[in-house]
Amino acid sequence: MSMTISTNQEAPLLVARDLSVKFDGADKPALDNVSFSLHRNEVLGIVGETGSGKSVLARALMNLLSENGRITAGDVLLDNQSILGMDDNELRRLRGGRLALIGTNAKSLLDPVETVGSQIVRVLRAHRGGSKRAAWREAVDMLSKVGIVNPERRARAYPHELSGGMAQRVVIAMAMITSPQVVLADDATLGLDATIQVQVLDLLVNRCRELGLGAIIITHDLGIVAHFCDKVAIMREGRIVEIGPVGKFLSGPTQAYSAELLEAAKVRPTPVVREARETSPDVKRTALLDVSNLVKHFPIPGTNEVVRAVDDVSFSLARGETLALVGESGSGKTTIGQCLVRLLTTTAGRVTFDGEDLTGMSEREFRQRRRRIQMVFQEPYVALNPRWSVANLIGEPLALLSAAGSVNKTKRIRELLDAVQLPVRLADAYPHELTAGEQKRVGIARALATRPDFVVFDEPTTALDIRVRAQIIDLVRDLQAEMGLSALFITHDLNSVRSLAHAVSVMRHGKILEYGPTETIFASPQEEYTKTLLKAELPIEQSQVQRERAERMLVGEMR
Amino acid sequence: MPLIQYWRVLPRPLRIVAGRLIMIVPQMFGVMLVTFLLVRLLPGDPALLMLGNMATEEQIIALREKLGLNLSVYEQFMQYAGNVMHGDLGVSPFTSNPVVVDLLERAPATLELITYAMLLTILIGVAFAVISVIRPKGAIDYGSRVYGLAAGAIPDFWVGLLLIYFFFYVLGWAPAPFGRVDALVTPPPTVTGFYTIDSLLAGDLNAFFSAVGRLLLPVLTLAIVNAGALMKMTKTVFADAYRSDFIRHQRACGLSERTIVRSALRNSLPPIITLVGFLFGFLLGAAVLVETIFSWGGLGQYAVQAVINSDYAALQGFVLVAAAFILVVYLVVDILYELADPRIKV
Repeated sequence: MSMTISTNQEAPLLVARDLSVKFDGADKPALDNVSFSLHRNEVLGIVGETGSGKSVLARALMNLLSENGRITAGDVLLDNQSILGMDDNELRRLRGGRLALIGTNAKSLLDPVETVGSQIVRVLRAHRGGSKRAAWREAVDMLSKVGIVNPERRARAYPHELSGGMAQRVVIAMAMITSPQVVLADDATLGLDATIQVQVLDLLVNRCRELGLGAIIITHDLGIVAHFCDKVAIMREGRIVEIGPVGKFLSGPTQAYSAELLEAAKVRPTPVVREARETSPDVKRTALLDVSNLVKHFPIPGTNEVVRAVDDVSFSLARGETLALVGESGSGKTTIGQCLVRLLTTTAGRVTFDGEDLTGMSEREFRQRRRRIQMVFQEPYVALNPRWSVANLIGEPLALLSAAGSVNKTKRIRELLDAVQLPVRLADAYPHELTAGEQKRVGIARALATRPDFVVFDEPTTALDIRVRAQIIDLVRDLQAEMGLSALFITHDLNSVRSLAHAVSVMRHGKILEYGPTETIFASPQEEYTKTLLKAELPIEQSQVQRERAERMLVGEMR
Repeated sequence: MPLIQYWRVLPRPLRIVAGRLIMIVPQMFGVMLVTFLLVRLLPGDPALLMLGNMATEEQIIALREKLGLNLSVYEQFMQYAGNVMHGDLGVSPFTSNPVVVDLLERAPATLELITYAMLLTILIGVAFAVISVIRPKGAIDYGSRVYGLAAGAIPDFWVGLLLIYFFFYVLGWAPAPFGRVDALVTPPPTVTGFYTIDSLLAGDLNAFFSAVGRLLLPVLTLAIVNAGALMKMTKTVFADAYRSDFIRHQRACGLSERTIVRSALRNSLPPIITLVGFLFGFLLGAAVLVETIFSWGGLGQYAVQAVINSDYAALQGFVLVAAAFILVVYLVVDILYELADPRIKV
């Protein structure tokens, strides 16, 4: 406690002074007079929507803008030393050595042809030298510190062999191994499931506090800010709209925009009415999809063991019903989804759809059924052919329907664009010209094109801005109501489960742990694991610990 | 089942090599079948074709007997395969040497030429591509663009003639374009067939420098013509890798520029390996014009002579050797490709 008090009287660790950044060809600056300071042992949250300039800020702080970007005014001081005056070698030692960046989408940040252990070793030796052997030991040690089980073996794994959460930990280990003074986490937990997100951030923030580092957490999740940060800065269009202690911001933001953001994030949509059950008791009992004792094994390369990705799972789904599968990544949720649409062959078990056994069907017979069973993929950008326009992408599945004339096709594409609320002018756009939310909508439109009876939604709301996420939830709710769609909803976003699903299955290690109506599961979870899962959802209010910490710091400042 | 289990626990590199080596057996069989059919499928009587119009009736009958043309196709193939296994590819009526002897003399000449040419091609192509990506708008970048445009358009014999004109005729730096060593120097005893290596093994520096000197211009000719394609492709692949997220992250981690370039290059290897393999196989026959200009006495020249002379035994031998060579090159390419990218499932 005495340390907290003394640190705040010290000079700030990192200062940004009137920082402005402009990209060639852009009319407006990407950063406009951004000023803030960060002390030792302090966590600053920077919040903003896509395009607000948060990531540019992170790069500008390291003087690492892409080729066409320049710092036009202002300065960044680390320990009272201007980073703009540094030569190449000093900058190289600063990056990763004194100022470490943890980026989004860890899997793409790792060199795909090197083992993760040697990548950490590479970073360590770039800053501290030393023998490979000693560096390897330190890397393995760091991997275990960031919570990787069996670090010896994992260090020898390639990035593609790791899950997203594991890759994120590797990137954190890469940042922490040089003991930097400031850690920048740029949307570091985007796309991770809630339990992992909390673990990863807990780990990150605790390590920073232990070592007395400064940390900047860039995010669009106000729950994270409330739970982990001391100070918060709200960004919009390259400017800091509001900056101040988190407690103060949560109790009463001073600016209209930050108030709007806070309000949008706080909204908890009410669950949908369970129409399927209400219509008539006879209809609801006819299961559209029935999965019994589904098993899927993956062989582990280099051994004779198998991963039991799906381990004896059974469930059924009534017409018009939406079932959510929730669980950590690696629990087998996505594997089940892919088995249902036959992107993976099942090891054992039966899948019955509308009275027909799908598992026994030949690929040719199954093709006929594909029209009725569709899937919305997790990463929309990866799942869309980058060289096709939106109209072609949406039109493609229409080929599965026998009688689709070209006039009909154009009309149907229009309808689908309307259905997913995309403006018609986007029909000629290409995937890279779309925002993440629009890409998700194209993915949904593709799945709906053949008027399916059953759709698998794989993480439809992850990695989206708060306001866009709310829009996608509304869209799916409308579609459910209008089309009477049955859906399997694979997600770790519990908030959206509450507003979309009639029933919830909680999965872990390939098994279903708990199943029940949504309200029941959320109100009174039975299993310990379900409780952990629900607890990982971060409410947008300060925890007791954070409040006390804020008070201590306040006292320190006043002395 | 237990066999599959043994297979799965093998280390990945071993599985890659073993898997490919097993494939070589049926592939080699296929090659023999094709070369066998090459002559059988020609219209008319092979014996007549092989002997030419001036042949007497007895000669034809004797050759038919010798070639086993009166046997069934199956027996003929078995006989041919047996002969090939024993290293008997027949006798060329034009050089009156066994085809094997001719090939053994000429194949190393071509192999030495194209191996060095390939090495230089990789060096020029990859170096120019890498430098022009990491120093955009520099002299090398502009130079490589002009070169990339020109390289596809200039024929190899013309480059060869230009080089001879300047470096031999005008400047007098290069030795005369007549064969693999100076006429006054005795070629080193054959060990590998590569004069550069054999002369060093024999400790004959005189022969070594003579062989290197003779190699300079033809190797340079082939490299100049082929490096352009490799450079253009490497540039595209390397530029993509160099701008990828993981390279940006490495830079944010403070890795040195050298490490970053190496990492990006390591990631662009697979397509480079494929193209190099293709060029290598292609050069075996395509170097013929350069071989002719420099009086190299290589395989390509031999094949062209065989075609012109309707020398079927020689042609058959050449096709067999060329196919086997390309098989080996592609085998190496496949193995390297899978080793270079750990994401490929074996």
